[in-house]
Amino acid sequence: MGNLELIVEKHSERIHHGLEVLPTLRHGLPAGLGNKRWTAELILATYEMALTGELPKNGLEYKTGDSGGGFDVLGWKNNGFAKIDQNTVDLSIELNKREEGRKIEIPLPIYGGGMSFGSISLNFMLARARAAKKIGTYMSTGEGGYPDAIVPYRDHVITQVATGMFGVREETIQYAPIVEFKYAQGAKPGLGGHLLADKVTSEVAKMRESSMFTSLYSPFPFHSVYSVEDHKKHVDWIKTVNPRALVSVKVSTPTDVDMVAIGSYYAGANIIHIDGGYGGTGAAPEIAKKNIAMPIEYAIPKVHDYLVSEGVRDQVVLIASGGIRTADDIAKVIALGADGCVVATAEAVAVGCTHCGNCERGRGCQVGITTTDPELSQFIDPEWGETRIVNLFTAWSKRLRSILAGFGLESVRDLRGRRDLLVR
Amino acid sequence: MDSETAKPSKYERFKIETKPARHVYQIPNKFDVSAKKVRLAAMLVHEAFEYKLNKEVVLSRPCIYGVFGGRFGGFKPLKHKCVGCMRCVQEYPHIMTVKHSDSYKRLGDSFWTPEAVFTIWNEASTGKIPVKGMGYKGAFGGEGFDGIWTDMSEIVRPTRDGVYGREYISTSVDVGRKPTSVDFNKIDRAPSTVEIPVPIIFDKVPVGNGPIRSAVGMAAEKLGTFYISRSRTPFDFGPANLIPIVDEETIQDLVERPAAIVEYDADRADIFEKLRSALPSSIVIARLPLHEDSGTVACKLAREGVHGLHLYADYHGQDYSKQPQHISASLKVVHQQLVKEGLRDQVTIIASGGITLAEHVPKAIICGADLVGIDTTVLVALQAEFKGETRDRTNCQMKPREIDPEWGAQRLVNLMGVWHDQLIEILSAMGMRDVRRLRGDIGRSMMDAELREQSFKGIAWAT
Ligand code: SF4
Ligand code: SF4
Repeated sequence: MGNLELIVEKHSERIHHGLEVLPTLRHGLPAGLGNKRWTAELILATYEMALTGELPKNGLEYKTGDSGGGFDVLGWKNNGFAKIDQNTVDLSIELNKREEGRKIEIPLPIYGGGMSFGSISLNFMLARARAAKKIGTYMSTGEGGYPDAIVPYRDHVITQVATGMFGVREETIQYAPIVEFKYAQGAKPGLGGHLLADKVTSEVAKMRESSMFTSLYSPFPFHSVYSVEDHKKHVDWIKTVNPRALVSVKVSTPTDVDMVAIGSYYAGANIIHIDGGYGGTGAAPEIAKKNIAMPIEYAIPKVHDYLVSEGVRDQVVLIASGGIRTADDIAKVIALGADGCVVATAEAVAVGCTHCGNCERGRGCQVGITTTDPELSQFIDPEWGETRIVNLFTAWSKRLRSILAGFGLESVRDLRGRRDLLVR
Repeated sequence: MDSETAKPSKYERFKIETKPARHVYQIPNKFDVSAKKVRLAAMLVHEAFEYKLNKEVVLSRPCIYGVFGGRFGGFKPLKHKCVGCMRCVQEYPHIMTVKHSDSYKRLGDSFWTPEAVFTIWNEASTGKIPVKGMGYKGAFGGEGFDGIWTDMSEIVRPTRDGVYGREYISTSVDVGRKPTSVDFNKIDRAPSTVEIPVPIIFDKVPVGNGPIRSAVGMAAEKLGTFYISRSRTPFDFGPANLIPIVDEETIQDLVERPAAIVEYDADRADIFEKLRSALPSSIVIARLPLHEDSGTVACKLAREGVHGLHLYADYHGQDYSKQPQHISASLKVVHQQLVKEGLRDQVTIIASGGITLAEHVPKAIICGADLVGIDTTVLVALQAEFKGETRDRTNCQMKPREIDPEWGAQRLVNLMGVWHDQLIEILSAMGMRDVRRLRGDIGRSMMDAELREQSFKGIAWAT
């Protein structure tokens, strides 16, 4: 083994060991770790769940953060319900409620959000694809194209069509069980993607059909879409190229998010995916993340209620994302009115992310997540990453079952819109 | 047109030229990294055996930022390089500690958070927009400006091209009274408004010295904006960009050297009359504290003919009502009362007090201001020291440093450049091509308190 391999092995082992030891609190709660949304305890609890597939047993807080609002001030009613056996609870949801088109169900109300090749390492992308396959759910390519290495997992990979159209080819649309149009994203609502020059290596440039080490900007919005009718043409295009694909429309959360949702429904979307302003994984101006568009907690009831009032709620799937960190957040999302949710940051935390925000500095992520650096990327072995993500989802399932069983609900579908079960 | 007589085009798109202006006074490290030395030594011995003295492997460090790259490695870490990524703690939790440094935590006061101070320092130093990965990390919504989100448009908008300069988004605003009808007798008189390219001026510096005032004046001149001062000493660089606060004694100076815009303290009604007759070509702005009656006072002043209102809160953004409220709330009241009484377009509103981050500019404008003034933020950009609470306008506990005015001017130009870019981001996301359209457009914003009530309706309160 050469020195480079030895160095990678040494640090991978040390990082993995740290992810095991830190949640035990043997060395205390690391003082510099975390922030108000992802507190140190939430990060360590996620490491623990990713290791064991179980909820933490040592008192680590795994349900809420410390943001002082939204999910963090919502709790559950805790009395007067006839409990049922957790093992009988069904967590599956359907992803197509229309009469026509393919029927797809996922065993958990969760799938993986778009994180593009180039902004994340191929190894992390592979780990996510493998985990999606193992669980029977999906993950999205993000807008950076479809690397050959994930083709074997294509039945569990959503092809994202974003404004930059990077790597969007006929075959990548034909691979996809679900095609996701990204109109906007919570990390930078109203602004297009931006991949810094340093990350545009030869592989990334090849995938995106661009020049090496040149910053890549995605335009905003789709320059071919200026109305719901234009949007329908987009949907028709995908359905022509791949008639079996379901279409998801990913939008952000403006004041009129309810109108956007109904427009997407009438354009033919199977899934309306709303991405709240506080979430996202991509590097973005701080001003955008904090200040533009409403948090997902407020957008879900607005959209759900409007779809109900228009009489179409049971013909479209509402998926929410943007700052969903825990099983409790997922259950709250559904109680507020969504069918299910998309997560991405939590998967990164499962493989060692500290939520430090340094993704775009220097060589990129120090533990191999958001980087194209050849050495750092190797810290994530796809098989190891797969296991960690599967474990996290397994632990979450246990918590979801326990919440539902506590309310006497046999299916997660029965939780949808049950705001009466929440307290604030 | 005959090419001989054609004049070269004077068109130049507005752009703020930033360039690095590094911190002159040392700033605290945000993170404090330390190693337990005995354990570190033991670990090195252990690894020396494990890797059979392979120096390259044994000495390969967990830090990719070079914190352990000094001569003494982890025994004497180069703390200033630490970005808090926590990898060293992940790898060696029994040896390494990384925490927010005490000196970082002590920055600012009860209003200025360490994060806000750092943000301003870095914006002034680099001229670059703060960018981070992996989502938002702060508190959910909150009070004042934190409880306001700006809108975005999914489809119809000027496009991201606005951000990259391919499409023009105007940030210019007018100061002064807009004519409500055409008056042919006034056609040759001085224009009733002055246009400035950014909706930000420098308010009176809370505490200062000559070089600081020079830096502010120079920055205002470079940016094409204005600065306010009570001082009667004319500065070396000329008063073209100065908005003097005038009292009885200074009116005469101004007759000799008129200023485009002047301010006076609104409680001196007699001064307004004198100013109007002595300085017919100047834009006259009444300066008044925000409080529960500001709406009524503003309407009265507008009717009396002032050209603008400079409404100010204290330096923490709280107004002077008996039950103080945030400037965002009191601005809305004044704006809406002026609109209701048909007076809004007759006055320009400048808002100041608590405008400390880039996002506060569009939010103050949404609440009804035409433009904002910044105050303590100027001192933070110029690395003034916090010596206590900065809230009180008459007793602001900040100590200015000795600075080179050129350096100071560049820091302020950088700050305004970054704020301008961030304003463009917000406007671009909203699909607006002109900041003037944003004024009072509450419909393009979302308020935490209102959304909470709408969306969490039906959710019981915990008992
Ligand atoms: S750089 Fe930090 S925030 Fe970004 S992926 Fe890596 S650990 Fe997570
Ligand atoms: S926290 Fe990260 S940047 Fe700081 S010393 Fe440790 S490894 Fe280096």
